[in-house]
Amino acid sequence: MEYLVVFLVLVVFLQTRITDLKRAVICLGSQSFIIAIACFVLGLSNSQGIHAILPGVLTLIVKVLFIPGAVYRLVGKLKNEREILSASNVNYSTMAAALFLVLGYVIVERLLPGSAGRDIIAASILMIMTGLSLMVLRKRAIIQIVGLITLENGIYLLGLLMTEGLPLVVELGVFLDVLIAVVVLVILTSRMRLSFMTTDTSVMKKLKG
Amino acid sequence: MDFMLISLLIYLVGTVTIVWPKRTELAAHYFGMICSVVASGLVAYSALMYLLFPSGSWLVDTYWGSYSLQADAWSSAFLLLTGVAGVIISIYAMDYARGYLGHRIRLLSGLWNLFLLSIVAVLISGDAFTFIVSWEIMALVSFLLVNHEAGKKKTVSAAYQYMVMTHIGTAAIMVAFYLIGSHSLSFSFGDMANNNLNGFMKDVAFLCAFLGFALKSGLMPLHIWLPNAHPAAPSHVSALMSGVMLKVALYGFGRFAFQFIGMDVFWHGLIVMVIGLISAFLGVLYATMEVDMKRILAYSSVENMGIIFSAFGCGMVLYAMQLHSICVIAFTAALVHAVSHSLMKGLLFMSAGSVMHATGSKNIELMGGLIKKMPYTALFTLIGSMSLSSLPFTSGLVGEWLTLQSFITLAQQAGNPELRLLVIFAFVMLGLTGATALGCFVRMYGTAFLGRARSNIVDKAHEMPVFMLVGMGLEAVLIVAIGVMPDILVNIMQQIFSGFAVVSMGTPLGIIWGGSGHYAIYSPGIIFAVFVLMGLFMVAALYRSGTFVRKDVTWNCGTVPTSRQQYSATGFSKPLRRAFEDILTPKRRLTYLRKEHAYFGRKLRYDLEIPDLFNDKLYKPIQQLMINYSSAFHRVQEGSVSIYIGYTMIAMIVVLIWGVLL
Repeated sequence: MEYLVVFLVLVVFLQTRITDLKRAVICLGSQSFIIAIACFVLGLSNSQGIHAILPGVLTLIVKVLFIPGAVYRLVGKLKNEREILSASNVNYSTMAAALFLVLGYVIVERLLPGSAGRDIIAASILMIMTGLSLMVLRKRAIIQIVGLITLENGIYLLGLLMTEGLPLVVELGVFLDVLIAVVVLVILTSRMRLSFMTTDTSVMKKLKG
Repeated sequence: MDFMLISLLIYLVGTVTIVWPKRTELAAHYFGMICSVVASGLVAYSALMYLLFPSGSWLVDTYWGSYSLQADAWSSAFLLLTGVAGVIISIYAMDYARGYLGHRIRLLSGLWNLFLLSIVAVLISGDAFTFIVSWEIMALVSFLLVNHEAGKKKTVSAAYQYMVMTHIGTAAIMVAFYLIGSHSLSFSFGDMANNNLNGFMKDVAFLCAFLGFALKSGLMPLHIWLPNAHPAAPSHVSALMSGVMLKVALYGFGRFAFQFIGMDVFWHGLIVMVIGLISAFLGVLYATMEVDMKRILAYSSVENMGIIFSAFGCGMVLYAMQLHSICVIAFTAALVHAVSHSLMKGLLFMSAGSVMHATGSKNIELMGGLIKKMPYTALFTLIGSMSLSSLPFTSGLVGEWLTLQSFITLAQQAGNPELRLLVIFAFVMLGLTGATALGCFVRMYGTAFLGRARSNIVDKAHEMPVFMLVGMGLEAVLIVAIGVMPDILVNIMQQIFSGFAVVSMGTPLGIIWGGSGHYAIYSPGIIFAVFVLMGLFMVAALYRSGTFVRKDVTWNCGTVPTSRQQYSATGFSKPLRRAFEDILTPKRRLTYLRKEHAYFGRKLRYDLEIPDLFNDKLYKPIQQLMINYSSAFHRVQEGSVSIYIGYTMIAMIVVLIWGVLL
């Protein structure tokens, strides 16, 4: 489990430094893959039957294969698109992520002292905050989608650990939610590319009355 | 007593005209108006029967889920007023609103029915939710009606001003309901009467209720929407708004005062009384300055609502002083004046509509000599104007006389010199108001109907079609009837307060022909005798001089008098404008268009502007403040989604850190 957390933190930090869209999507895929493994580990240790493997399988299908696949295909159609950023923006993102990690550990120490899943909780707080900061600081729609999924993964991981297995209906609902959100976002981004020739969300300001 | 529910249903049927096929617009209009006449007639009939033969039970008592309808005597007084006004104004509108053929007349008729429906619903609602919902429907429908001639820019801005103001009022009323409802078992009026609210929050509830209802009835600092909304609306709509809707605000305030808040606190009544008096005087002062007929009437509504509220406030003060049997006079005064104001303001708005219909203008400076073109309208307008100036033999006097009576009683019973001084101030204000009102209506009637025509719009004027005359005539007959026999109305209205110890005002016959038993109510008999004597004296004097009628041209130093040598409306009110220059702050501007010689061939233009005191001193600063605040907020709310998500994130971090630190 600890190894997974290390990898997860590594991937999230990497996420803040990537500006190329394709790499960002691959990075997202691997992040989701780590979450899927965590699901299997936690599921097999906590419960049995379909409940043990279903979250992992769903994560694998939806978050590792389908969503990154769809976004990746979309990225393939985009030409000359990359997040144009000054180095300082990237550095700020990474610095912020580091601060979030510290914050996460502080919170766990204060609120849940001696908790078994200390590292996982800290990592999930890191993911939630980093996902939010990606959505705020970056301008490309694709990276914002990546931020959303990162946020979602963080919440999911936290939920998984804290509740030790959600009811089946809730789990299915959560996945359907994310799936629909991403489908809509991908369609919107694709429309945006057709209309504006770019996926820079700052051009959307022109639409304001 | 299912009449009330049937009438609600008929109003609802009348609303169907909104979706009537366009080809038969006129039929839709007549259908709608007949529905409202029938339904209003039913409302008036059942309310009158309930008041004449009080049975101790409710007039209406039914509920549907958490919504309930209940009407007691206090509601019935206003239902009577609504029903009468609804019948008469709808008859008038049958002809008047035909002018809107091709201008969404179906919508007008349907909304008319809905407006009456919502007013009746407000009056019979038995719990706070029903009240607020009906109140809001009433506000929205009247907004749509004011906005009916939406092609004009002025109309739209007046309508939106009305909308904003009325919603501020609704918000205040909702706060008051919430404060009281949260301290009682449920939000039904019966439970809210037994609330255990007291102390500071009770004062807050009272002030909120007063703010909300005073706004709707157009008391002075909050009247700002009224003189704009009335000229913008079609005339029959303004007649109903001024005649009935303003009274509904009095109904609501009375409900709060009698049932929910009580009248134990002395200064509550005092505030109502003083604000009423100030509105009465300032309202009529501004009315005298206007040249737009409907604006005159609108300001006069402010005046009369002021009188009504001052009488009501006087009653509250008397009640707080434990004079329970005497305060009935004041409450009766408020009710009687409400009824008679509804009649006379309905009449005058209808005649303003007729004048507009005939001349196409509302500006009395362009009129003159209309009495020759439209004699019946002129007669009815005269009766209405006399009533509004509270002359004898009209209903207007009855209410004002009773108000004066209640002030006299208050002065008599006032224990301390401060209160007595205040009552003297009240006398002065009321007297000043009455005198100025007389001047105002002499000015309006004289300029519009008497003298010579001031412009050629008078030439094409004509008498009104029959339904419009019938409508105005009915109101005029009622006004005179109440003026001659006030005892019936006064006794009915007095019975409403049977919860208090009612002092009978004597037999009807005694009141009319000899004055009073215990109280001097008002004795038309004596006044009539004086009038007859004076008339005989005048006839005798004229008879001795040998001429009754002598037709001749006015002597004008050898030239034929022209219409420009008459008093203009603006000129007529000049002395008053000079006397109250500090309040009115008139802005005069004289421009020479042509000046070839010092005395001859001059052409000049005179612009007079009377800014509304409260508009400049109260509303403009508030508006400026709000704009400044908004632009400060604009920097925070820039429209970029990223920044909004950023706010969420910052909030989350702050909450997390907060949670960790505590």
